[in-house]
Formats: sequence, structure tokens, C-alpha cells
Amino acid sequence: MGMRKRSKYFAVSTLALLSLGTITACGTSTSTTSPPSSPAVNTSNQTLNIGLSADPPTLDPAYSSALVDRQVMFNLYDTLFQLSSKNTIIPDLVKSYTVSPDGLTYTLQLHQHVKFQDGTPFNAAAVKFNLTRDMQPASARHSSLADVTNVTTPSTYTVVIQLKKPLSPLPAILAGRAGMMVSPTAVQKEGSNYPNDPVGTGPFEFKSRVKGSTIKLVRNPHYWRAEPKLSAVTYRIFTDPNVELTNLQSGAVQIVDTVPPQQVSSMEQNSNFTVVNHTGLGYEGVYLNVKQGPFTNLFLRQAVNLAINRQTLVNVALKGVATPANSPFSAASPVYNAQEDVPPTASTSEMKRLLSEGGKPHGFSFTLQSANDPVTTQVDQIMQSMLAQYGIQMKIEQLDFGTLLANNEAHNFQASFLGWSGRLDPDQNVYSFFYKNGALNASQFVNAQADTLLNQARQESSMAQRAKTYAAFVQIIQQQVPYVFLYHQNNVFAYAKTVQGFHYYSDGVIRAYGLSLS
Amino acid sequence: MAYAAKRLVTMIPVLIFLSIIVFSLIHLIPGNPAQVILGQDASPSSIRALEMQLGLNLPLPEQYLSWLGGILHGNLGRSLLDNQPVSQLILQSLPVTAELAVGTIIVAIAIAFPLGILAAVYRDRWADAVTLFVSTIGISVPPFWLGMIFLIEFTVRVHWFPSSGYEPLWSHPLRNLSVMTLPILATGFREAGVLLRMLRASLLDVLDQDFIRTARAKGISGWKVIFHHATKNALIPVITTGGLQIAGLLGGIVITETIFSLPGFGSLLVESVFSRDYTTIQGTALVAALAVVVVNLLVDITYGLVDPRMRK
Repeated sequence: MGMRKRSKYFAVSTLALLSLGTITACGTSTSTTSPPSSPAVNTSNQTLNIGLSADPPTLDPAYSSALVDRQVMFNLYDTLFQLSSKNTIIPDLVKSYTVSPDGLTYTLQLHQHVKFQDGTPFNAAAVKFNLTRDMQPASARHSSLADVTNVTTPSTYTVVIQLKKPLSPLPAILAGRAGMMVSPTAVQKEGSNYPNDPVGTGPFEFKSRVKGSTIKLVRNPHYWRAEPKLSAVTYRIFTDPNVELTNLQSGAVQIVDTVPPQQVSSMEQNSNFTVVNHTGLGYEGVYLNVKQGPFTNLFLRQAVNLAINRQTLVNVALKGVATPANSPFSAASPVYNAQEDVPPTASTSEMKRLLSEGGKPHGFSFTLQSANDPVTTQVDQIMQSMLAQYGIQMKIEQLDFGTLLANNEAHNFQASFLGWSGRLDPDQNVYSFFYKNGALNASQFVNAQADTLLNQARQESSMAQRAKTYAAFVQIIQQQVPYVFLYHQNNVFAYAKTVQGFHYYSDGVIRAYGLSLS
Repeated sequence: MAYAAKRLVTMIPVLIFLSIIVFSLIHLIPGNPAQVILGQDASPSSIRALEMQLGLNLPLPEQYLSWLGGILHGNLGRSLLDNQPVSQLILQSLPVTAELAVGTIIVAIAIAFPLGILAAVYRDRWADAVTLFVSTIGISVPPFWLGMIFLIEFTVRVHWFPSSGYEPLWSHPLRNLSVMTLPILATGFREAGVLLRMLRASLLDVLDQDFIRTARAKGISGWKVIFHHATKNALIPVITTGGLQIAGLLGGIVITETIFSLPGFGSLLVESVFSRDYTTIQGTALVAALAVVVVNLLVDITYGLVDPRMRK
């Protein structure tokens, strides 16, 4: 599902969140960024061309759900908090913050003298405007801010956020799209036309866009930190990953946001380019509908889970550019548990036992709905042959992404191949997937014990503690199998050797600020 | 002119019928723009709220009539995705595809006519065999494969052409031509194969007719007979095929557009279907239908020019 991966937020190293957790637990301490460095006059005339694997549907963070939107938006907007290249969450537009001992009140002090690209001052009122806008029911940010009850502005640069219940992922949430600050003036002036002329406080400002072709950003000369080294960034859209790579090789672009798995090793050997290839935060896998069809039966779910050899899938369909999975948490996650993520190994006797206990000793048949991109197609076919060995007939129904989403929301499937591109905080990779009636709970899975653990993890501020809670939760999921975890996708980029200052961020987004061309 | 106007007017009911079909079909597909915009993790209540905001909760006939009312006022509506006027999206993308289609036909004619005539004149001899070989390759090689080969050979191995970076013809003519050359050649080669076969067959048919024998008997030189008498009479089926080819090309040379990163009409239509952008789908489908009508009209007018008997 390469082209249509949904949003991928930030990874945080265990250590970093551990310390953050300890701080917040005390309830009084503060975290600060270093003061913005003095702006230097920049007269360079360098344009960086970046290849994108899809046309960003929108540049308005309130309505964004596609992964690719963020490639552009993170360069256009600053966020309240941010992911550092060292994989930690640090304040960004927020200068310092405190959390009340009960975990229900966050008080944010903002940087002063920051302006939006249209000259509108950035202040507490702007933050309140943004958070209120994101909390509207029609916003794509609505669910991630559902526990916010009130936002107040006691002074020009102070914002107070009140929560319904403790929400340890909040700084991580505000380091993503919910924390991207758009200019209130621009939104009020442009109305529904805002996405066509977006305005943030970021290092680059929007210049022009041709749908399906290019998005041009230019340097923000009044950026509140040191001015960016590049004078402009042009995003070029390539809906075919092989074409995108060819454009890197021809020199039309200097960075690409994806490399087809079968091309990774040859690109690694090409001395003109650097390949970045790291495990991402997401997972690909199959929802099994526990309320309909054969998978109401626990043993049949377990049988399917056991029959699929993840390592073979990864080796053949993804040329090794992914990690076999058995849990929602990859090695990039702060709650990664290596032992729990090892996929099961099938044995004929165990398969026989599960099938006969499930009342289908000679196998059964079901339909898998899936997207229709080349990698997914291959994965489908390999799974089909693995299951056939045990008499399980899997019919493949390939659909376009819109239909797949609609069927998932309506629980209109027996098995559905749909992954998640992963987010910063572990909560965002499991809560709404496995909580009773969660928005992403396509399997209709209900388990009181799992729900208790999910809620408990939200209230724990120490990441070490949360890791233990999630380990217990993963055991339940592995036993109940509402979802078959197949593999964790890798973030793969390639860039020309002329690009200087490239840093990998585990959310898979390319930050153009700090980059230059030699 | 009056004929052309009459033809266009008679198309209006067809276009309205077509718009109803497109409107109904697109609403039958599962999923809607609100769902696609909000994505995988949207709650049903968020989707309902956005549907109301976009006016998707209104009864379908009401949505259709309000869209049709806009059309009658020359307004194709705005994209449900990003609020850009659909007319603007079409004006951005249609010239790309139109240029590709016109260029393709020029290349196809440039290849097909000389080779087609040679093949017919030297029927069953080596020139015919070579031509047959060329046209078979043209027809059977998938355009996406040829496109990828062109891209790798001429933009990566030797940097003769840019691999992407389309600019409009009127603002950056040189850039435009250098970007458009490879895609035009890639599709042109294929269409040439079809056209060539058509021309050869049609010419052979004409060459066997009595009036050609008469012309030859009158002592008119061999090539003059071919050009003045035979080719002209062989053109009608070729023009028909060419017209169908252009119409097909306008409908979307999506693959070529994808390989050469051209922001064309085909890509716009496909992307709007994937994102369930109803207004854009309806607008582009309508314009595509209109384009086919116009091409057919042009074909009919050309018939008249080639064969005066058809003007009656």
C-alpha cells in the first residue's frame, strides 16, 4: 500500500520518553529549547527538487489524512512540539511547558516575536484558534484531540490545555498535524479556499501549485530561526515509484521519498546516491472480522495467523526491505519488545489441531479484500499459496483504496488487508484499532481486558511502565488474533551526493530546512 | 458552419444523458469524498460532519440538479477536495493531453504514410515485409514499456531530454517541446502501427479498382497514380481510424502521462475517481465526452474535404 500510506508520526526513543515521562510525573518541571539563533542574511540561490510518490491531497493540516501531505506541510508549518533527529520530542513553537500533577492541565509558554508568513503575529490566540479548529467534528484531527475539554489563553504567550483524563501522548500529538499552526488571518480570509494558499510560520512559504505536477515553496525571509539555506523547494509528483527513481537518476530531482524494494540494493551500490533505509513505525497486516463469516471462530483466526510465513513474504515480495512482524510495535517504537515481535512458526500438527478444533479439519475458504498495487498483489498471492498448503482457500478481491476504506468502516469484509503507517506514540498505533468501537476497529474486536490495558497505558506517564502494559496487551491480541501482523514497512529515501545536511527523521518526512546543495 | 452548429446542438441531450449516467455510477461506488479526505482513522461522526459541510447529505437528485444548474451558468463547480474550480483544473490539464494527442497523430502520420504507401506499392516484397515488421512491433509493444525504455535511454544514459518538468507551450515553448518529445514519440510509434496497417489495406483495395487501371492505361506515371488517385480514395477509412485514435487518446493516455510525469487530463480523471471528487469527475467526464464529439465532427468535416461526394 505504498502510495496510500496514511500518516506516520514521530518515533521517540525509549530513553527520551522515559525521561519526559519522569519529568511530567513530577508535574512541575519545564523543558526548554535553546533560544532561536540569530537570523543570518541568506542570498543563496539554490532550488532543491524533491520527488514525491503521490500528489498531496491537501496542505491544510485540519483536513489532512495522507502521509504525503506531511512531506510538504512540515516545511511550510512549524509545530507546537517537534520530533528531533535524535528521535526525541522537544518543544518547537512552544518555548517551555508544565504539566499539572494530576496530568490534566498542560500550560504552554510560546516563543515570542514569531510571525506567520503573511505577517500575522503568532501568539496564544493563534494557538487557541488552531486547536479549536482542529477539534471541530469535521476535522481530521478531531479524534486525536477528543480528550481536550478546554483551551484558554491567560496571557498573550501562554496557552492552557485542559484534558478530560490524563493523556500521555499529548506532546507527541502536538508534534504532528494537530500541532501545525496555520495563520488565522489566512483561514478567515480564504475560507474553504485556504488549502490553495496555505500560510504557516515555517522555513518555507507557499508559492504555487499545479495539481498532479508540482508544488513550489520559497524561502521565508522572515523565518524566526536562522534563514534556510535553500532559496526554494520544488516538489515534483511521480505516481509511479520507478519513474520517480528514474527522475532521481536523470537529475530532475535530488531526493526521492521512496525507492521500490527491488531497486534498493542496486541504488545502494551506485556511488552517486545515498540510500537511507530504516524500519518505520507502522505495520501491514490483515483484519479478521470477528463478527462475520469464518473468523467468528477463534481457532480459524489462529490457524490463518500461524500459516503465514512472514520471513518468506518479506524476502520475496519486499526483497527484504521490511521487517517480519507479530506485534504493532516495530524496533523504532519506544515500547518495542523484540521477543513479542517474532512471528510464529507453523507446524503441520498444530495447524491440523487448530483446524479440527475450529470444526474445519479439511480447511475452509474466505475472501480477502486488498488494495491493487504491485507489492500488495504479490503479498496476497504468496499468502494464498501458504494457506492453500493447509486446505485454506483464500479468494482475493482487489479494490481501489476508497472502496477498501468504505468497506472497512462498514465492517463489510471477512478479511481485509490494510496497514497503518505508524505514529510517534504507541497509543496511536493501537488504541482506536483494538478498543471497543474504536474508529479503526474494523475487526469489531471486543475484549474487556484489552480495553482496560489500553486505558491504563494512556494514564501512565513512564514509558517503561507503558511498555509493560503494552506487552500484556499484545499477548491478548496475539491470542485472540483480530489482526494478523505481517511486517513493519521501512522508510526508504535516496538522495544525490550533492545534497548536504540530510538527517533522517523516523516519521519518514524530509525536512528541507538545514539542507543545501553543493 | 451551420452543419457543425447543428451537430453540436443535437449532442446536448446526449451530454445530459451522459452526465446523469456518470453522476449515478460514481455515487454507486462505495466510499465518498468525506471518507477519503478524513482517511483511515476518521470516526463515523467526523465523516458525517464533513459530508454535511460538503453538501453530500442532500438528496442525490438535488445534488445533481444544483450541479446541472451550475453548468447551465457556465460553472463546472469546485473540487470537493481542495476547492479549486474544476474549470481551472481542466484548463490546466486538457492542453497537455491535447498537445500529446496532436503530436502523436503528427508522428503517426509521418511514419504511417510513407511506410504504408511503400508497403502497398511493393506488396509482398521486402519493403512490405519490413513495414509489416515495424507496424507489428508498433502495435504489440506496450506503450508503457517503450516509454520506460525511452526514459532510461534518453534521460538517464544520455541526457538528451528532461525526464519530467512539464511547462505550458505558450509560456516555455522550448522546455515544453523538449519534455513532450519522448512521450509523443512513444505513443506516436504505437498509433503509427495501427494507422499504417489501415492505410496499406485500404490502398491495396483501391489499387485493384478499375479507375486505377484506367488511369494507368491513360499513361499517368506510376507514383502520380498512387498519390493523386489511389491515396486520396484510400483515405476515408484511415481518417475514421485516426479519429477514433484521437478520441481514444483524449480519453486518457494515463500511462504515458504517468511515465513522463505530465499533469494531463487522463491523470486528472483517474485521480479524481480515486479520491471520489464527484464534481471533478463529472466535469472531466463531460469535457471528455464533448472532446470526442468535437473530434468526430472534425473527422466528418475532413471527409468532406477529402471526398467532395460526402458533402451532400
